[in-house]
Amino acid sequence: MKKILIVDDEQDIVESLKFVLEAADFTCYCAYNGEDGLRLAKEIIPDLIILDVMMPKINGYKISRLLKYDAKYKNIPILMVTARSQEEDKLIGEETGADEYITKPFELDEVVKKVEQYLK
Amino acid sequence: MNIIKFDKIINMVKILVISERKEKCNYFNTIFNKNSYDLECLSDENLIYDTVSADNPDVIIIDTQISSLKNLNKKIKNLCPNTIIIYLTSSSVIDKELIKYANAFLTEDMSDDFIISTINVNLRMKSSLEMLSNSNKDLADSLYRLNALYTTSSQFSGTLDKAKLIQYMIEGMDKALSFSLTCTLSFCTEEKPVLILNSLYELSDELIEALKLRTILNYNSLFDGKKMPFEVNSDTLKVVKQIKYPASRFTFSLFRFDNMFAPISLGENFFGCVEIFKEAPFSPDDATCFQTIAQQVSLPLKSATLYQEIIEANIKLAKLERLKSEFISIVSHELRTPLTSIKNSLDILMSGRCGEITESADKFLSMAMRNAQRLSGIINDLLDLSKIEAGKMDFNFAPTNINTVIDYVKSALSEVAKSKGLTIITEQEQSLPDISADAQRLEQVLTNLVSNAIKFTPENKTITISSKLINSKNIPINEYFKDNIKLCDGDYILVCVKDEGIGIAEKDLLHAFDKFAQIENSLSRKAGGTGLGLPIAKQLLEAHKGAIWCDSELNKGSEFYFAIPVAKIEQLV
Repeated sequence: MKKILIVDDEQDIVESLKFVLEAADFTCYCAYNGEDGLRLAKEIIPDLIILDVMMPKINGYKISRLLKYDAKYKNIPILMVTARSQEEDKLIGEETGADEYITKPFELDEVVKKVEQYLK
Repeated sequence: MNIIKFDKIINMVKILVISERKEKCNYFNTIFNKNSYDLECLSDENLIYDTVSADNPDVIIIDTQISSLKNLNKKIKNLCPNTIIIYLTSSSVIDKELIKYANAFLTEDMSDDFIISTINVNLRMKSSLEMLSNSNKDLADSLYRLNALYTTSSQFSGTLDKAKLIQYMIEGMDKALSFSLTCTLSFCTEEKPVLILNSLYELSDELIEALKLRTILNYNSLFDGKKMPFEVNSDTLKVVKQIKYPASRFTFSLFRFDNMFAPISLGENFFGCVEIFKEAPFSPDDATCFQTIAQQVSLPLKSATLYQEIIEANIKLAKLERLKSEFISIVSHELRTPLTSIKNSLDILMSGRCGEITESADKFLSMAMRNAQRLSGIINDLLDLSKIEAGKMDFNFAPTNINTVIDYVKSALSEVAKSKGLTIITEQEQSLPDISADAQRLEQVLTNLVSNAIKFTPENKTITISSKLINSKNIPINEYFKDNIKLCDGDYILVCVKDEGIGIAEKDLLHAFDKFAQIENSLSRKAGGTGLGLPIAKQLLEAHKGAIWCDSELNKGSEFYFAIPVAKIEQLV
């Protein structure tokens, strides 16, 4: 089973994503802040990461940059999820190497579809 | 008694007779009244020169028979160029050489009256000439002063820097009044009051201390117990010295100089005060000039103060604008996150993945979902509007066919319309030219108009979307919007969304595109919406150099029009 790491400080959002992804037969790992997220990513080496931007300690942009510039992890697809929708934020997201940019509020089915697309 | 005598001597006409002939001297002594004329008769050359240089006589009568005539002529003219020189000649032929020096000639046979009148006529002429020369000098002085005032006032109008204005004022006073010292207490040169001392010569510390106290005293006396605009303390008052000739020094005798003092103020604005010292006494003209400059500088100082206030207000406004943007962005972020959780939970529940849902549960879950979506729409609208207003909305202009946009919106909203028992029909003019537009934004505008039509139209009615190419001259804009809409000459694509709904009252028509207009209307509140859809549509169309307006009558339906130019956006700028 493919491993998915969900990193978001909003526990409710992590919960709902975990629910639908597990229903779609993925194994989910969860982290509720950037630091744990980064540690877990290096520990379990997931097949895909769903990453929130605004988080305490280390924000999503930084995690994405750290992983994408490391040969060991750079092939892990990253879906950035955020409530921010300013154009410049999108640009930062792209520069930090995120593969996809999803704006809150999102449709759960849409996220599942995206994940399946990347893990085909 | 003495004074009167002294006055008389001054007013008496001084006549010097130069002759070796005793009888001539006696003769002149007899004909000139001793009360009005002070007559002296000399023949010794050296004595003549001494007397001429010391007394500067009004009239010199030279006997042409005197032996040293040639020498005398030249030397006397040099010593007293303004004295009337009259020659006494016996012949009727005049020596041409003498004409150069002579103001008049007397002959031996002239009567007493003739001689006295000749002298008096010349005296009158001399005094007229002197008066003329004096007024010329006065005129030149006034002109110089006027020139200095003019230069200063043009300098005043050339800057809004308060410290510079004070400096120009001091320079102007120097030019016009050539002072020995000015003490300017300025409240606008720096943050704190400053005493600017412009002096010809160096000032000792004791003298500066004395000038400080004097200025503060003068300043306090202006307010006479009333509240002063600034508290000035001699211990903390900063002094700026500008010395012209530092090698010499002023002493306390400076305080015996003539002086003038003036406040620099306009209405309630007080900028400082200035005192000016001069060794020679000031004339009334000097006083006027001084007051004029002190008054003249007040107006530009006031303008500079206002200008500064405007700049500060602008900075504040820009900061507020930024705070507003940040606020909206933060609020929308904070709203979106919990909204996402709500929608996600509803999604999961409604998908049945947590168990069977009863019919009534489904009804309430749908209700919750609908409202979550509505809230999400409001947040998006708010963000859009704040982005457009801040000029941060990005547009992706590309050749766009309006009929494609219409088809897309029709198909997207047909289901919703059908569920309300409404039909959407289209009346599209075929093969319309492309317009330069952001297709997604146009979809947003049209979706908004059609959604409104669906919202406000009762069952079994029709909504018509039409499109056509039309010249701007033939576009029918009603009287409510005519004045506010300016279209360029040329072709436009005109789109109309027509419904058979509740319509808009005449008085509300003009406000249909105002922010939150709908919120005022309790009837339409039932239909939902933020009241931001139409203002957003208006702004989006304005970004396309287009326009939006509507025709409507209460209970008879509405027609919303928008027009977009066919020419490229760049061509219209």
